[in-house]
Amino acid sequence: MSHILVYIAATDGKVKRSSLEVLSHCRKLASENGLKLTAAVLDADPSRYTETLSKYGPDTIFTVKHPVFGNHLNTPVIEALSNIISDSAPRLVAFASTESAKEVMGALSARHQAGALPDVASFTLNGDVVEAERPVMSAKVLSLTSSNSPLVMVSVRSGSYDATEQPGTAAVQEVAFDFDTAGLKNVLKEVLSSAGDKVDLSEAEVVVAAGRGIKDADGVKLVEDLADALGAAIGASRAVTESGLFPATLQIGQTGKVVSPQLYFAVGISGAIQHVAGMANSKVIVAINKDPDAPIFQYATYGLVGDLFKILPLLTEQIRSVKAG
Amino acid sequence: MKISVCIKQVPDVSAPITIKDGTLSQDSDRMVLDAYSASAVEEALVLTGAHGGEVEVVLVGPDKAKETIRKALAMGAASGVHIHVEDMSGLDSAAFAEILAAWHKQSSYDAVLTGKQSQDTDAGLTGGMLAWKLDLPYCANAVGLTYEGGKFLVKRQGDTGQEMVELESPCLVTCSNDMNDPRIPSLKGIMQSKKKPVKTVTLDDLGLSLDGVKGGVVKTEGKGFKDVPGREPGKKFEGDPAELVSQLVNLLDNEAKVL
Repeated sequence: MSHILVYIAATDGKVKRSSLEVLSHCRKLASENGLKLTAAVLDADPSRYTETLSKYGPDTIFTVKHPVFGNHLNTPVIEALSNIISDSAPRLVAFASTESAKEVMGALSARHQAGALPDVASFTLNGDVVEAERPVMSAKVLSLTSSNSPLVMVSVRSGSYDATEQPGTAAVQEVAFDFDTAGLKNVLKEVLSSAGDKVDLSEAEVVVAAGRGIKDADGVKLVEDLADALGAAIGASRAVTESGLFPATLQIGQTGKVVSPQLYFAVGISGAIQHVAGMANSKVIVAINKDPDAPIFQYATYGLVGDLFKILPLLTEQIRSVKAG
Repeated sequence: MKISVCIKQVPDVSAPITIKDGTLSQDSDRMVLDAYSASAVEEALVLTGAHGGEVEVVLVGPDKAKETIRKALAMGAASGVHIHVEDMSGLDSAAFAEILAAWHKQSSYDAVLTGKQSQDTDAGLTGGMLAWKLDLPYCANAVGLTYEGGKFLVKRQGDTGQEMVELESPCLVTCSNDMNDPRIPSLKGIMQSKKKPVKTVTLDDLGLSLDGVKGGVVKTEGKGFKDVPGREPGKKFEGDPAELVSQLVNLLDNEAKVL
């Protein structure tokens, strides 16, 4: 019986939520199509992830153990996944749409002559056809794209599906991986982290995002204080990463990161469609903006019309007192 | 140093778009140089400016796309290659990668640059596919690029932090629009661009045919378009900041239960 293979993104002992979302959705598709569900985890120590993964119901977990996977390089990931694909002949390979998945999917699909459907908001498998909806044209519209290829690869935007447990008994299959790092033509020299970039924004449960209304360093401080009170990751609109108020790594939107937290604060963000494409999957959206007609209010669960320089200090204080119980 | 930059002509995504019977309709039929491609051209010009050499731009597209090649030449690229395909309907990323690979197999370069994705489809596949077909080491989503001692050093935006990756030459790099601010062509640049060489190449010249590419390489099919679903309208409050904040914190704590 063929299977749906889910590539698992995991770092520092934690499986990414976005991978569990994909695994949960693929469990449903596998069941509908009479296919097995498998997961592949590539790591220096993959066994630390199998317990978490087995709670989401895969039939088999492929583990590939090699220290080279700590090096953020695409070549070993492509090589290892390619071996699993060649040996086990999956019907579909699904990824969470992380930066590392985006980097390998083109090469991997070319190597296996697979249909590739990247960065989808939703997808289905019905027998011979995989159909997906993808935001295109600067996220103004959804494109319906399908593939009849016998092997299809899909990467899924974070927050598109819920991660739901369904415990089962997963078989763990260790896959031998003989990799010669000496032959590599790409070498990781260094990983640079900025203060706001320690957490993966795409995985954060609470995000405070800043826009043009933040104006200056005083505004930045107010955002940092609110994020600190909430234990939130900080994000930013393109306007304030371009102006240099926030590092480019924090940009949320169609050209930046896609986030899907439980709680999202849009502070001084007007809500251009390109930004909304990066946060519309958030569960609860709070918008704070002085312009009552700002488009962001169309997406906000709760919208506050007012001066953020007056609202934020009060909000930070009240949240601290609620958190303190 | 010779850098080959794959560029794309795209519709102006800032123009309003409507969907009619599942197809896209724009008031303007203005076509422009893709912004990610423009960043790739800019980066190549900075590199050759510092280390010598020249930039060649390569585009797959119809006659109308010549103006986009001229735009890149006006920015400062030395020459252009126009792989002429008049009707691009039905072609996907795999098709463009196949065509671009056929060209690069008969061309020489120290590095190939592409956009990390393009503004119209946002797929981000072609660069990685091309690297595989050309057997090149590559990096995607570059925000910085330098050259030293025969090797390229890429700063790429990863999931957490930025990764500095050294690539042996020849290599391929896909460029983010966070990499630089593409220069606006000067009047002099525009005048000079008209005299720069643009070579027209057909699929036949590359040993390919449109039917062959569609039948053998294309694996996906566009089925139309639809509107992005909206969100349920929420609550909007105006008034005294202190009252607004109290209302909000109460709702977050007791209604949404997210604190």
